[in-house]
Amino acid sequence: MDRDFRKLLEKDYVILDGAMGTMLQQAGLRMGETPEMLNVTDAPLLVSIHEQYLRAGADVIYANTFGANRHKLAGCGRSVEELITAGIKNARTACGNVRPEALVALDAGPIGQLMAPTGTLRFEDAYEIYSEIVRAGAQAGADLVVFETMTDLLELKAAVLAAKEQTGLPVMATMTFETNMRTFTGCSVSAMALTLAGLGVDAIGVNCSLGPDELAPVVRQLSEWSRLPLVVKPNAGLPDPQTGEYHVAPADFAASMHNLKQYGVRVFGGCCGTTPEFIQALSGMLRREGNPIPKNRLHKIIPAAVCSATKTVIINEPRIIGERINPTGKKLFKEALLRRDLDYILNQALEQVRAGADLLDVNVGLPGIDEQEMMVTAVLALQSVVDVPLQIDSTLPEVLEAALRIYNGKPVVNSVNGEEECLDRILPLVHKYGAAVVGLTLDENGIPKEASKRFAIAEKILNRALSYGIPKEDVYIDCLTLTASAEQDGVMETLKAVRRVKTELGLKTVLGVSNISFGLPNRVLVNQTFLTMALNNGLDLPILNPNIPEMTGAVRAYKLLAGMDCNSAAYIKAYVDAPPATGKDLPDRDRPAGQIRSAEDADLPKNLTADQAALYEAVLSGLKSEGAALTETLLGQMDTMEIVDRTLIPALDRIGSDFEAGRRFLPQLMMSASAAQASFEVIRTFLLKTDAKPVSKGKIVIATVKGDVHDIGKNIVKVLLQNYGYEVIDLGKDVAAERVVEAVIKHRVKLVGLSALMTTTLVSMKETIARIHENGLDCKIMVGGAVLTPEYAKEIHADFYAKDAKESVDIARKVLG
Amino acid sequence: MDEPITLKQLNRQEALRYLGYSGGTADRQMEQLLSRCEKKLLLAAVPRFLYQVFRIRPTNAGIQVEGTNLCLPGRSIAAHLAGCDCAVLMAATVSESVDRLLRVAQLEDMAEAVVLDSLAGVAVEQVCDQTEARIRRRFPDRYQTFRFGLGYGDLPVTLQADFLKVLDAPRKIGLNVDSSSMLVPVKSVTAVIGLSGHPLDKSVRGCWSCNLRERCQFREKGGHCNG
Repeated sequence: MDRDFRKLLEKDYVILDGAMGTMLQQAGLRMGETPEMLNVTDAPLLVSIHEQYLRAGADVIYANTFGANRHKLAGCGRSVEELITAGIKNARTACGNVRPEALVALDAGPIGQLMAPTGTLRFEDAYEIYSEIVRAGAQAGADLVVFETMTDLLELKAAVLAAKEQTGLPVMATMTFETNMRTFTGCSVSAMALTLAGLGVDAIGVNCSLGPDELAPVVRQLSEWSRLPLVVKPNAGLPDPQTGEYHVAPADFAASMHNLKQYGVRVFGGCCGTTPEFIQALSGMLRREGNPIPKNRLHKIIPAAVCSATKTVIINEPRIIGERINPTGKKLFKEALLRRDLDYILNQALEQVRAGADLLDVNVGLPGIDEQEMMVTAVLALQSVVDVPLQIDSTLPEVLEAALRIYNGKPVVNSVNGEEECLDRILPLVHKYGAAVVGLTLDENGIPKEASKRFAIAEKILNRALSYGIPKEDVYIDCLTLTASAEQDGVMETLKAVRRVKTELGLKTVLGVSNISFGLPNRVLVNQTFLTMALNNGLDLPILNPNIPEMTGAVRAYKLLAGMDCNSAAYIKAYVDAPPATGKDLPDRDRPAGQIRSAEDADLPKNLTADQAALYEAVLSGLKSEGAALTETLLGQMDTMEIVDRTLIPALDRIGSDFEAGRRFLPQLMMSASAAQASFEVIRTFLLKTDAKPVSKGKIVIATVKGDVHDIGKNIVKVLLQNYGYEVIDLGKDVAAERVVEAVIKHRVKLVGLSALMTTTLVSMKETIARIHENGLDCKIMVGGAVLTPEYAKEIHADFYAKDAKESVDIARKVLG
Repeated sequence: MDEPITLKQLNRQEALRYLGYSGGTADRQMEQLLSRCEKKLLLAAVPRFLYQVFRIRPTNAGIQVEGTNLCLPGRSIAAHLAGCDCAVLMAATVSESVDRLLRVAQLEDMAEAVVLDSLAGVAVEQVCDQTEARIRRRFPDRYQTFRFGLGYGDLPVTLQADFLKVLDAPRKIGLNVDSSSMLVPVKSVTAVIGLSGHPLDKSVRGCWSCNLRERCQFREKGGHCNG
């Protein structure tokens, strides 16, 4: 039997079939029905459709299995395996009747549930669902696996990994793009190409959504980003707005497909609205004209780049890697990790990105925490709020692999070094998941002093990476910064090595910059100067603290002077509106010009100092930086409890009662809460510095219940509770009952807050409460959310019903004091 | 494919109403916050919509949407569609980019987050309004009911999945539903509009059909959401 898709791809062109849905609808399928049921209820229909496509010239036909997944088939009475087996069999029967050498593809589309964080589907669940599909397909004798109409890159990654790990079948993957060159979830063409090539997919391309003419820009861009055989399976033009029908004629479709040949398309087919006539016209065109593949495609140079699903960073000029997500030497960060305070980490990320980071290094290694679990949690959370690519930083292969699996896009791995064992442990992972990798120029003997020896290690790392199949453009070398005060001679050696790696090996270079000045006064000056020297020697990826304006500024200025920042546009954009300030002295953006005090704020609590009164007012007016600055001042004058109990809490109480009375509204409540938060942060930092215990009035676990992803209400409650000094353990949204129970036990909390927004998720709330009670836990439960009523709260045995965030604070005071 | 719907500005008054401002005017600080949030939201929102007209037929089980396996049960939808021979099923969303915007705001600035949340609700309603206007233009000779949302009255919200399937909404506009029948992206709407050859009794629209009527903050204050 010679049905090898990879061999077929060596031909000048491969013809796929056209639409299945269109054919089934013509045969009477009703909208909303499950088409895969026909595999068993009307096999002859399926066989006949496949036969028509084969006669029209298809080399590969897609079995009618697009929606045959556990989720979509729920309740239909047939199993995934049954319908896939029947689907493949029908296709094979048709091949036997018409063209035995034709290939049958197992076809799988999106699961039909959005992945977290937007939806609730988790990566491992998606992986399981696709595993079931591909195992059934392989078992039934499919020749290849096709994933099509995908819009979520992470879901597609789960699918591809399932296909590669569970079967040995070739994999083809096509995604659906809109005219804005993105999928519905925002995935870009370059991100798709970089990620899928890394995962070892055999052919990639686009299908559905648009006609061949409209898809041309997408295909062109794809061809610029990939050496892989390209697949195009467009619709028969755009649907008619009145009827939803497609009107491009088969001959015109073929003519438009002809125009796509110039981009190196190898695999041609049709999606919605295309019928056997279209495939006939298409195969006629290809037979007549041929489709010689441009020779240079196979050796096409793909730029060195990494990406998230929505953002690709090309390393064609210096790019800043933010170094702040790392507990080393950072008390606050360590403490946040131990508390599992993800918000702290996320804010570190947002701050760096705003300051100018192009990538973020992520290191969460700390004794006493499960680094693997923490890394996965952090990467998922980070990718839900920032779009810059991440650099996964760990010494443990299992941590790296766990993060590489769930990373959406193409990340950097930090790092390998010249040690044999390290190379052989980590490079296979880098290859399997298609990442880029940082190679440190050290080995069993430590860091060589001479540039030439570091260069030799770089060369060794490159050669080993190549031998594992990692492309050259994905190897970045770190020649290692040594501290100038300790090894002054080493500075120039490092720079020499950078230059040689860059020019002689043609690799991208990385350097952590901040170490250079260790032990010296005015470190920023030394760091900035070294950074500029390194950039001039060919440094591509400085790892630094982007929040220091002098450092980010040096990179910007360098790009301007080196002619990379065309017309100085980026430089001007960064500084035109802002003085080169450190960020500390900027006026509060929300501050109403010239006035903090308004008539209603005049009645202050008694016996406050002038600064306390000012802080009270700042909180009332929601002025964050004002509040923080005043707190700094007050810390020099009085003890923290005096600030908290006599100033902040009364201000919050005042806001709260105004809110209750309808004199203030939610946004104002939140502005004040943020100002108070900023003040608490200052106090917290102060306490940590003096090794005093942070103030805690008690712990509270809060969660949005299982199945519910609306968590803004819960987050409002959290902010207010934190304001009042409660330590809030926020389990997030879509939280299973067991996790709430675990947290209550682990943290020994006396109060749990649960929220639910939908009538459909009240069941989960009830279930969660029942589980807490079943476990005999001695804690009170408060509930809230749009659809809840005090009666229902009672009915499900909650102890308290909170009608709004303010009331949750009152409840906490009642329970915890 | 219809021309895309664009949002040029958002109804701030409506957003303030969602935030609990009843009649009062926003102060300057609030106005600035609204402006900033409106700008961000307009930048992030990608309005998408979808509608399709079906003939309908009352049955014992509910209103059968012809040519599909969707049947709309309950008294409220039956009353809503009384006198109609066709129904338009519609779906609208401001897309996933808004979900992300809301996530980031909740980390950085909760005041901004609650205002953005409210504006996003306004935005998707405006997309619905524009969709409705198109339907009106497309069927100038027909009388049209207001839009009746899934989950309102006794029309079960658990129909979302089948409803979206009939419209092919996941593929066409990236609108999905999770196992709790929540629409994802979050700021999305599905609704049914009746079409008739005869004038319709407009008075049927009101709080009675709303499943929030017992705990509606607008009703508590003697008001109405106009939803």
